[in-house]
Amino acid sequence: MTTAAAAPATHKLDFEDLVREHQRMVFSIGYHFLHNAAAAEEVAQDVFLELFKRLGTLESPEHVTHWLRRVACHRCIDYSRRNKNAASEVSWDQLPEPVQPAGHSDLGNSDPMMSKRLQQMVAALPQKMRMVVILRYQQEAGLEEIASTMGIPLNTVKSTLHRAHAMLRAKMEQTVGKEWGEVNA
Amino acid sequence: MKRIGIIIALLFAIQWPAAAQDWDPGGALKKLSAKASKAIDVTLDQSMLQFAGAFLDSKDPDQAQAKKIISDMKGIYVHSFEFEKAGEYSEDDVAPLRAPLKEPLWSRIVNVRSKHEGQNVEVYFKKEDGKFTGLVVIATEPTELTFVDIIGPINPDDFRRLGGQFGIPKVEIDQDPASKKGETK
Amino acid sequence: MNRLEDELKRALEPVEPPAGFAERVLARVARAEDEKPVRSRRWLGLFGFGVAGVGGLRWAAACALCVVLAASGVIYERDMQRRRGEEAKDQVMLALRITGSKLQIAEQSVKELDSTSQPRQ
Repeated sequence: MTTAAAAPATHKLDFEDLVREHQRMVFSIGYHFLHNAAAAEEVAQDVFLELFKRLGTLESPEHVTHWLRRVACHRCIDYSRRNKNAASEVSWDQLPEPVQPAGHSDLGNSDPMMSKRLQQMVAALPQKMRMVVILRYQQEAGLEEIASTMGIPLNTVKSTLHRAHAMLRAKMEQTVGKEWGEVNA
Repeated sequence: MKRIGIIIALLFAIQWPAAAQDWDPGGALKKLSAKASKAIDVTLDQSMLQFAGAFLDSKDPDQAQAKKIISDMKGIYVHSFEFEKAGEYSEDDVAPLRAPLKEPLWSRIVNVRSKHEGQNVEVYFKKEDGKFTGLVVIATEPTELTFVDIIGPINPDDFRRLGGQFGIPKVEIDQDPASKKGETK
Repeated sequence: MNRLEDELKRALEPVEPPAGFAERVLARVARAEDEKPVRSRRWLGLFGFGVAGVGGLRWAAACALCVVLAASGVIYERDMQRRRGEEAKDQVMLALRITGSKLQIAEQSVKELDSTSQPRQ
């Protein structure tokens, strides 16, 4: 029941391992949320600095992963709020039109342009919705885990995801064409 | 979860007669402490909770949630005992903790036994004037006993969300239903 | 809906951070560790600097000592207060963790009972 404090040398060794193990996860959350590599690195560094301070209070690898994900989430949202006018913040209503429309010929395989397009759309979603989508599809988190990570009720997660799907699908139909809607029907 | 939700909803619907009760399980806890090899005691009255609240960081998700939970509380008392081996405490040691938790003021909403490490958890709520004003949890295992006494007002929803927060690891419950005994109210 | 979800998984795939990220984090942590609060020694200037005569010097020294003692008392009290607050905060977090873990056991057990009592289809 008591929390054992790690000896300093072990603490530092573990910390370096944890950075290397989790850097991809933490950076990726920031990258797709903030749509900007420099901002993502800044946030990710802050998260790991915080981890270093708290390492003695974390008890298991699962706890570390859960803690990192949650702190990364909240830091990204805070950063986004503080930098509302940053160039990387994309407005949903002002998403740029694609340079070339996706063709109808091959709806079975993924078009690289489509990934770019979806990344832009996700980056333009409202902040909480954006984070729910990232946790769901990048981190492959379950709905309860998302609720726990973001500190919001489970029903809110469900309804937020539902609205995100509707918004993204509608935007994709606008961009790719009605075939998008038909394939998904 | 659904069952607990229904039970909590029923508790809201039922009007309990108000009654004041003085309850000091101190004698029973002292006996357990004398038998235990390790003990954790957390005693926080209202003034300490308010004092602690000022030091909880609203930017930290865990601490922000904790701040919310304790905001109106009058006291939190947690006693957790570990014993060298099974059999060092008995039902006679636990019964005095349970004795005052009687209707109409108190209602036991959960009493579950799990084959997983022989855990038994009882959850009691106290209701006065239509509000939840107390929570008691008695959790027993062969070599561990935990007694939680929280003096409200409290919001049961806040406590339902506690699991999965503060780095609490997931609990694996035996999947074999044939080996399980349990009851819920 | 499946296609959208597949495309989202593809679009939001994790990416590696820029090269040297881990080293930059470790360097930043090392810098934060090295930065210690620098105690101001300005109060030493009270002893002798700009004060005329021995009597004046003693008087200045006495005043400085009083100020230092008073300030130390205040700082000590503030430190103690902060330490007590941090301890109280830790106790709150511990209490909620213990409570949460026991409630989670109860919740999981109820869920398990719920699922085993559902009629088979």
